[in-house]
Amino acid sequence: MSRSRIAMAVAALGGSLVGVMAAAPVVSPAGAAALPQCPTAALAKAKGTVDISFWESMNRTNGVTLTKLTDQFNASQSKVHVTLVDQNSYTTTWAKYQAGLSNGQLPAVAQLQDVQLQGAIDTQSILPAQSCINATKYKTSDFIPRALAYWKVGGIQQAMPFAVSNPILYYNKQAFTAAGLTPTKPPATLGQFVADAAALKAHGSGVGLKLDPWHLETWLATANTLFVNNTNGRTARATKAVFAGKNALKVFTDLDQLESSGDAATNPYQGPDGYDNLLGIGSGKYGMSIDTSAALGTIATLLNNGQYPNVTLGVGSFPVLTTKIKGGVEPGGSALYISNKVPPAQQAAAWQYIAYLDTPASQATWAAGTGYIPIRKSSAKTATVQKLWTTNPGFKVAYEQLVNGATTPATAGAVIGPFPTVRTAELTAEKNMYTHGMSPAAALKTLTQQVNAALTSYNERLGVT
Amino acid sequence: MRSRRLREALLGYLLVLPALFLFALFVFYPFARNFKLALYQTPPYPNLPSKYVGLHQVGQVLTSSNFVESLVTTLLFVVLVVPAGLLIGLFLAVVAQRQLRGLAMYRIIFSSTVVTSVAVSALVFYSLMNPVVGLLPWLGIEPHPSVLQSTTWALPAVALMAVWQFVGLSFIIMSAGLQSVPEEVLEAARVDGASSWTVFWRVTVPMLSPTLFFGVVVATIYAFQTFGQIDILIGYQNAAYEHVNVLIYNIYTTLTYGGNPGRAAVMSIALFLITLLFTLLQLRFLERRVHYAR
Amino acid sequence: MPGRRWRLVARYVLLTVGAVLILFPLYMTVVNSLLHANELDRQPPLFFPVHPDWSTYPTAWNVGNMGTYLRNSAIQTVIIVVGQLVTSVLAAYAFAFLRFPLKRTLFVVFLATLMIPFEVTLITNLDTVTSFGWYNTFAGLTVPFLATGFGVFLLRQAFLQIPKDLQEAAALDGYGHWRFMTRVAVPLARPALAALAVFSFLAAWNQYLWPLVVTGDNNAIRTVQIGLKQLQGSQLQDFNVTLAGTVIAVVPLFILLVVFQKQLVRSLTAGAVK
Repeated sequence: MSRSRIAMAVAALGGSLVGVMAAAPVVSPAGAAALPQCPTAALAKAKGTVDISFWESMNRTNGVTLTKLTDQFNASQSKVHVTLVDQNSYTTTWAKYQAGLSNGQLPAVAQLQDVQLQGAIDTQSILPAQSCINATKYKTSDFIPRALAYWKVGGIQQAMPFAVSNPILYYNKQAFTAAGLTPTKPPATLGQFVADAAALKAHGSGVGLKLDPWHLETWLATANTLFVNNTNGRTARATKAVFAGKNALKVFTDLDQLESSGDAATNPYQGPDGYDNLLGIGSGKYGMSIDTSAALGTIATLLNNGQYPNVTLGVGSFPVLTTKIKGGVEPGGSALYISNKVPPAQQAAAWQYIAYLDTPASQATWAAGTGYIPIRKSSAKTATVQKLWTTNPGFKVAYEQLVNGATTPATAGAVIGPFPTVRTAELTAEKNMYTHGMSPAAALKTLTQQVNAALTSYNERLGVT
Repeated sequence: MRSRRLREALLGYLLVLPALFLFALFVFYPFARNFKLALYQTPPYPNLPSKYVGLHQVGQVLTSSNFVESLVTTLLFVVLVVPAGLLIGLFLAVVAQRQLRGLAMYRIIFSSTVVTSVAVSALVFYSLMNPVVGLLPWLGIEPHPSVLQSTTWALPAVALMAVWQFVGLSFIIMSAGLQSVPEEVLEAARVDGASSWTVFWRVTVPMLSPTLFFGVVVATIYAFQTFGQIDILIGYQNAAYEHVNVLIYNIYTTLTYGGNPGRAAVMSIALFLITLLFTLLQLRFLERRVHYAR
Repeated sequence: MPGRRWRLVARYVLLTVGAVLILFPLYMTVVNSLLHANELDRQPPLFFPVHPDWSTYPTAWNVGNMGTYLRNSAIQTVIIVVGQLVTSVLAAYAFAFLRFPLKRTLFVVFLATLMIPFEVTLITNLDTVTSFGWYNTFAGLTVPFLATGFGVFLLRQAFLQIPKDLQEAAALDGYGHWRFMTRVAVPLARPALAALAVFSFLAAWNQYLWPLVVTGDNNAIRTVQIGLKQLQGSQLQDFNVTLAGTVIAVVPLFILLVVFQKQLVRSLTAGAVK
């Protein structure tokens, strides 16, 4: 062949290769499947209004704000109409979602709890948000990186965060003063938390220690410790636990010491949902407690209504494991998932609704109405949110925790298929320590075994071992 | 003649058909399918396909600590409930046996627990054993954790409730059995100078043995099937749940909370075989010692 | 004779102690159901409601939905009892009076159903019922139980007691099978039918596991047993209402016990006495 012919062939080959690569869909590193398309064309072609339903899990109070936002969305355009279906709790929504997988009745949008992330992916019934982000060229730079990072698996944004919270420290400033502690300086590390608890106990109160596995995981995240392998389950499916180490042992030992010394009262029998640790701050039983930032609105209202003259509520950041390691507080809460089992037009419509709920203005309204963290940085600058933070600076704490700190796979949180089983195992480990006198090291060992067993069994059932 | 026979046969099949159809669909088909389910590993989510794994799953389930503990709990429960339930029923039946004044009322009271349904008995005892509204603090029993959440006392507490509920049925069965022991035989023995105790052991009990045997079979099946009481008295969310996790409760939680029909199927077959084994053992060893009058 | 008198007294003492022990839990339930909310956690506990709070019963009936639950249980139970009676009469009649090939085998098959306990059929029955769209409906609640091997066994026994000459006389009088069944066999087997009805009633009313899995969060068909479980989940200060609901649930059956004692005993002891 002549040189020019070869050159032309190479050019053609190169050109076609480039063309192929440009047209090729993004391949997720964690799986073999290519990213599905966001059916925006179907929505554009649809005649009349596309009706979609949204299975939401919020309680009644937050439901009011959600209804307001949804009404605004419905009124602002006539292409998509959203009907809210209140499932009342994350557990119910997930149970109904699973039932829907077999009877075919699934909504276009579902609000699923953080721990259901890998499970939702494994049901093969969701359309990753990334598809629609790509199709509509949606800009995500304004989002708090860690809020997005939690729900990004295998480099793909699976769902969009919506009702985000993290654990914070609630304390009674008056109790602190009475115990000789500085009311403006709540404990910043776990060690100080333990020390302050002793001081509080010596002066009549103590600590309400809620058995919530989320707190265990958050302590590890603040020490930048991974929970499971394969980069916390984000680059590939998690197959074993990797958290057992010096940091986890310190958490277990400190908590055990808090409980056995009597400085802290715990709730091993009521479970996380039934524990009135925050009300105990009101009644003077506890001087401080760690709990979700989502409860701040209710608790602040309750404690400020005049019934508790001996209480001045203070809010501090989650006491990190140690200041020597740069970690971060992991986000929690829920995200919005698009189901791929509804007609394509509805899927694209679902994306429009989700995008609306995540605009800076909506997030500002949402944060002010519910106490969840506004996940867009520009929301933080709006008058609504600024006013909220001036009236009650406690709300700012959760936001700053999410913005500050490192965003790494450890601080983004773990992605685990059988997360509910793992959470139960964490609870059992704590119960074993507090009520059966198991040593922290033994409890940690049993926990590791149980987590590994859960992962192995789940992966085997899924057929991916 | 021929056609009449044919018509009679057809009528026979027609009359049997409704029940047969229901049994085929709701008893035999599920029973058979259970074996198939046991061989398939079901995925965590209902819309994904199941995988044939043969006996691997059976072996895995039967050797799992969860199953073994469940089996031990079940057997312990049976041991706690069956003898106590039968003996108390027998005792009450003997005491209430005579045709004395006012005994009709006592007999109604003793049989009354047979109409307390599962939920009613469970709630009744829940209210007695609850650490806040119950009677235990007054009796000086204030353990920490409370009885219904204690890993040692939860099972005996449920057993106590099950015995109470079973006593009604036990009383009725034993009373019916005692009525078949002819009064003359007892009188004859007493006239011969035998003490009440001897009469009881040497005469009454042997003549009562078919009833006792029936009672043991019924009581065992009842104990193996106890479910609702555990669900209400203790429940899945309770810390003591693992210590009252009898097989039938385990099957339920594996199915509804674990979403794992394959594993549940293996356990239900195991429970069926164990119940069958118990019944056959009882048939073999106990029936031999039963005296039949004729 | 003093010895005899002493023994009689001892017997009455034992009877009374036994009755007290058996009744005591139920008694305390009734007492607690009439206490005011703030009296519930009184220690030592109150053994008699001095100022009874009668409002717990209407509350349990309305807010606690006991009225609805009782209605649902009644519907479910009646459907099952009628279904079991009908299918059992038809099949038992065939086994007792008709000749057809494989009769003996079929009867053994029917008896075999007694050996197959519920937990073995639970999983598949749930799938079957759901696939018919009967999840959370009365159909799903009742259809799997419309036939019973025990009923066929019991009624066949009763039908077999009918003297052969009666059959022959009826045949001579030109009675077809239908007339014989309805005019002669069924009326003569009435005690066994009553016993079966009582037994079926108790079994159906008492069902817990099946209603639990086949009904969802739906008061429209929730039965009394599951309804009581719902009530139990309520706050401790509403416990008097929960117990009022419990009493409401047990009283109808108690009345039935008193009225239908004989039938109850007969059905429960069908296998006891040889």
